[in-house]
Amino acid sequence: MHQQPLVRLLDVTRTYPLGRVNVRALTGVSLDIDRGDFLALAGPSGSGKTTLLNLIGCIDKPDSGRILIDGVDVTPVPLHRLAATRRDTLGFIFQTFNLIPVLTAYENVEYPLLLQHVPAVQRRKRVLDWLEQVGLSDQARQRPDQLSGGQRQRVAIARAMAGQPKLVLADEPTANLDSVTAAKILDLLETLNARTRCTFIFATHDPALMSRAQRCVRMHDGALVDEPLLEARAS
Amino acid sequence: MLTKLALRNVFRNRRRSAITLLVIVFGAVGLILFGGYKAITFHGLRESTIRNRLGHLQIYKAGFERAEAKKPLEYGLEDVAQLRRAIQSDKRVRMTTAQITLMGLVSNGDKSETFMATGVEPKEDKAMNAQRLVSGTDLPANESDAVILGRGLAASMHAKPGDYLTLMSTTTSGSLNAIDVRVAGIFMSGVKEYDDRAIKMPLAGAQQLLQTTKVERLLVMLNDTDDTASVRADLTTLFAKNHWALEMKDWSQLATFYHQVVALYNGIFGFIGMVVFAIVIFSVANTIVMSIFERTREIGTMMAIGTTRARILRLFLAEGLMIGVIGGVAGLLFGFGISNLINRVHIMLPPPPGYTQGYPLRVMLQPGILITAFLIAVITSTLSSILPALKASRLKIVDALGHI
Repeated sequence: MHQQPLVRLLDVTRTYPLGRVNVRALTGVSLDIDRGDFLALAGPSGSGKTTLLNLIGCIDKPDSGRILIDGVDVTPVPLHRLAATRRDTLGFIFQTFNLIPVLTAYENVEYPLLLQHVPAVQRRKRVLDWLEQVGLSDQARQRPDQLSGGQRQRVAIARAMAGQPKLVLADEPTANLDSVTAAKILDLLETLNARTRCTFIFATHDPALMSRAQRCVRMHDGALVDEPLLEARAS
Repeated sequence: MLTKLALRNVFRNRRRSAITLLVIVFGAVGLILFGGYKAITFHGLRESTIRNRLGHLQIYKAGFERAEAKKPLEYGLEDVAQLRRAIQSDKRVRMTTAQITLMGLVSNGDKSETFMATGVEPKEDKAMNAQRLVSGTDLPANESDAVILGRGLAASMHAKPGDYLTLMSTTTSGSLNAIDVRVAGIFMSGVKEYDDRAIKMPLAGAQQLLQTTKVERLLVMLNDTDDTASVRADLTTLFAKNHWALEMKDWSQLATFYHQVVALYNGIFGFIGMVVFAIVIFSVANTIVMSIFERTREIGTMMAIGTTRARILRLFLAEGLMIGVIGGVAGLLFGFGISNLINRVHIMLPPPPGYTQGYPLRVMLQPGILITAFLIAVITSTLSSILPALKASRLKIVDALGHI
């Protein structure tokens, strides 16, 4: 039986006002993303990668077209009513890590679980488990400003994964990291994808990241260029 | 988590929070000091007005207030002995004293001045401690023709203790009468206009001048001012039961000056409160607005990972509330300390308008004032964070995430 795609974009258009002119960030994008995908959105700056991620991440609205997340059409729902969808279904990893500076690594990972009202005992177990999975058990009490860039991104990954999302969106997750750290982060993401079957979508122009994606969607001037299916790395 | 986040955010920019807290502390201390000063002034003025001049209750013959008497003491009290016994049997009553007020001319043989005299019972009047003698002695207990003069009147009459003056007034039958009196002493009440006209004389002397055995009113002094209303109610019942045609006023109905001072001070206090309110509002609002501006991307992140608008709103309201609580508590501590210090060092203030004597600056710490100051700090701080917090909760996530 054909399984319903996790994300379905149907003829999605998004235009931004820039000064007195309107910039078309996305023009009629249609795309299906399957469950368990490890997908790279590739393209130069301004090609519409981040806009597409924002729309899938339910933090921006298209001007036209429809977006279905896990079979639900989120297009007509106002963004502030999608907080629960973002909390329960999605995970975010940002280029600049975006941790909450006044919270420790532990508390940052715990934050989405508090939003989900996970009971205390279970919450603690999950936070410690995720800190261990990203190799930061010893840094649990450190605040973000006491961690290196790579460590911060690991905390961000643990935070994104702790809420058990179906889809993790990562906007240039390795752009602010050196190549060695970036490679380690990629290893981690790949492992997590394989282990949890959680879907990952990256916006990137990092060839290393593109090369490790199972599927690479290329973008140019707000449109999809082509969509060559890469061989599954596992095979 | 909300409390933890809010508390840590308050101390995130320590310098800015310190300045905001300082503003709140200053505001709270200002309110406490002025409130305490106001309280002790009201209390002092009330008690001195009652104990030196008005008594807690004044009893007259029915019709005294309404009727325009054609002759002096037409509405005077005839026999007050039974009435006094009945009133003094109440344990809440400290004493009663009868008085007569009269006006007339005082002469030293060379010149005359108008006077306003109060006929008092010397022993009871002494207990009221109404005036301060500047020379001579107080009214003797058993000498009906002795008087004490206000300082201004004495100066005008060139009178000193031991001198004789003549008092002239209209009697209860409408004729003129004059008596010679001996100046026993000279006093000052603190109010210059009063001291320029005032005479105090024994009740017997006043009755002799007015050729009557009546008294004008009976003053009732209580042990505790708070009992005024209950004693008044009981006396009303007593009068009705005995069919005594009497009327009564309490100190509050008679203390015009006291009420004017209270209104004036309350006005000033209200104005100061408004100023403090405004300063705290702007200061806290500025802090929260700056904080939101600096944390825009963080707010965007929190919303992106599923934080609701309501939670963001609550977070910033909690920060405003915490600033208010911390500032309020610090304000209470400082206010308490500074008040005690002021009460210990005895700073003398210049005489108020109409008075000739200065008085020490004192601050009365009442729970009501402390609670008010604390609540104002907390409420203004929380209120001023509402608009910025609303603004934060309505940020567009994409714009907020792109904020640098």
